[in-house]
Amino acid sequence: MSERSIAVLARKVSKHYGEGNTYVRALGETDFELMSGEVVALLGPSGSGKSTLLTILGLINEPDGGDLEIGGQVVIRAGEFVGNTNQVRRRELGFVFQRSNLIPFLTAEENVRLVLELDGVGKRIARQRSREMLETLGVGDRGAHYPVELSGGQQQRVAIARALIHEPALVLADEPTASLDKQRGRQVMELFRSAARERGAGVLVVTHDHRSLDLVDRTLEIEDGFLIAGGVALGPEGRSGERSSPTVRP
Amino acid sequence: MNLALRDIRHDLSRFALTAVGLGLLLTVVLAMTGIYNGIIVDATALPASLQADLWIVQRDTRGPFAELSRLPAELEDRALAVPGVARARSYVAHTIQRELPDGRPLRFTAVGLSWPVDGGESIPLIEGRPLEQAHYEVIVDESLGLQLGERIRLARDMYTVVGVTKGILASAGDAVAFFTRADAQSIQYDQSSEAIRLDRKARTQRIRESWLGNDPEFVRFAETATGLIPAIAPAPVSAVMINVAPGASIEIVKQRLATWKDISVYSQEDQNELILGGIVEKTRKQIGLFRALLVVISTILMSLIIYTMTVDKLHSIALLKLLGAKQTVILGMILQEALLLGAIAYTIAIGVGHYAFERFPRRVILENEHMLMLALLVLAISSIASAIGMKKALAADPNEVLAG
Ligand SMILES: Nc1ncnc2c1ncn2[C@@H]1O[C@H](COP(=O)(O)OP(=O)(O)O)[C@@H](O)[C@H]1O
Ligand SMILES: [Mg+2]
Repeated sequence: MSERSIAVLARKVSKHYGEGNTYVRALGETDFELMSGEVVALLGPSGSGKSTLLTILGLINEPDGGDLEIGGQVVIRAGEFVGNTNQVRRRELGFVFQRSNLIPFLTAEENVRLVLELDGVGKRIARQRSREMLETLGVGDRGAHYPVELSGGQQQRVAIARALIHEPALVLADEPTASLDKQRGRQVMELFRSAARERGAGVLVVTHDHRSLDLVDRTLEIEDGFLIAGGVALGPEGRSGERSSPTVRP
Repeated sequence: MNLALRDIRHDLSRFALTAVGLGLLLTVVLAMTGIYNGIIVDATALPASLQADLWIVQRDTRGPFAELSRLPAELEDRALAVPGVARARSYVAHTIQRELPDGRPLRFTAVGLSWPVDGGESIPLIEGRPLEQAHYEVIVDESLGLQLGERIRLARDMYTVVGVTKGILASAGDAVAFFTRADAQSIQYDQSSEAIRLDRKARTQRIRESWLGNDPEFVRFAETATGLIPAIAPAPVSAVMINVAPGASIEIVKQRLATWKDISVYSQEDQNELILGGIVEKTRKQIGLFRALLVVISTILMSLIIYTMTVDKLHSIALLKLLGAKQTVILGMILQEALLLGAIAYTIAIGVGHYAFERFPRRVILENEHMLMLALLVLAISSIASAIGMKKALAADPNEVLAG
């Protein structure tokens, strides 16, 4: 496992939608940090601001204000994107969604390899690494298949392979196991966690699935746009969060 | 990794079908262009083959191609007396439809040449030779389907095909057959023995009933062959073609002839304008309009196809944006697919045209410049169409990927 460093550091990021009557404060001024190799669950009811936080950390939406560093690099300053956002996406970010993660006209192996090739890695090396990555996630024999030819669990494994192949600082996952049954969901989460740790990626995973919470290092709860509960160490290298409070577990 | 090729490969049959459909549409555009050109070349092929500098026709008519024109046959001699005129040839033409012994219809426009001044030496032949005898020889267009050396019966005589032309048609699209003027007219005025007998009888009767009938010498004269009666003029001609002497000015000779009160004079260019502005004008415009319409349809269709191809990929495009793909990668994919579609459709159009156009009943003429024009058109359409697709792609929102 790689040396621990801060993967993400967010300070006072906030976000609202709409004006006047339609004004919604989706995210209050939020501080947030994540260590490399750390897997953090983000819990909260629907409409609490989970996706909003994810899109800001993923450089999809600009916040109203605040600063953000990813992998030691300042990417948002005073609510504005700075630097080469696209390059940060290519090198430091990975995404896993609930479904339709993959480009349908590329094979599993091509979906993974694409990430490396987009950043200029040579085809031969990219192919080699993609195969190894798929192997790690237990879908090494599915490389030549198109996404429609894969089961839901296989698709998510390929998506995780793609999110980690380039060893990003941060992987954002929005309910990656929601479409899977309990057993497969746990399997995928376990693979996800160990692969992320191995590559030193910090993972923020939005989940409703309390059944896999024992697999994460820390949980965060969000309500009405505010983080109200910090993480408690649950994993083998458990640590205490700064704003530590007991994690609510069902 | 080339995304355009992979996207195409993934749904190859759809792409192939689209390309073939577009290709056939472009084939029709190409055909229309070729037919348009063919009409112009066909319409002017006959006057061009006769290589006259000036055309003398009946006063105030636009003959002999756009309109009927009649001139006395001796005008040929009058014209020869004009300074600067090196050669004067009569032009006669009429359409004939007969049947071959095997029952096939034989339809052509018989053109009479001024033998012996003109045996058809200026006519471009693909086979055989010009006329070398005063009678019973004919030069035909290959579209008539007659072979060199073949003999056909026309009127009371057997004619031998001595020369073959390609693409020399009269304005109605009929093949042209060149005879000596005497032969052409004898075919035109061919009458059955009974008709000739009745004609003479009627003529004699008219003489008898007039004051001339008092003279038995007149009555006897009226009963003889038409050609022997000096008071009856030889058959008129349609036009007289003039070639000026080397070094003489066509314009000056034209002005000299124009002072005659019984004729009008046209240069070869005037003649082409009369033909294109008159006979084929409407056909030409119609085909031109049809072609323009087809171009518009192709543009719309191709834009729609490329737009749809892009819209179908919006989710993938949003994903590519999330993965940090450069804009050039995304736009390049759309442009490459559009250009590839255009290029394949163009190749199909050229290929199909190459084999199909020869079999068209009317001439399809395509020069390299027309192929180049179509290529540029396809390039323009592909670019416009992909620009619309690109606009859509740039608007693709990565948030939508999150929404699943
Ligand atoms: N694009 C948007 N326009 C307006 N309001 C939005 C938009 N996205 C989210 N919201 C609102 O912001 C709040 C937080 O939403 P979201 O971050 O999607 O929550 P969650 O992912 O936890 O369900 C909700 O009240 C939601 O209605
Ligand atoms: Mg959400």
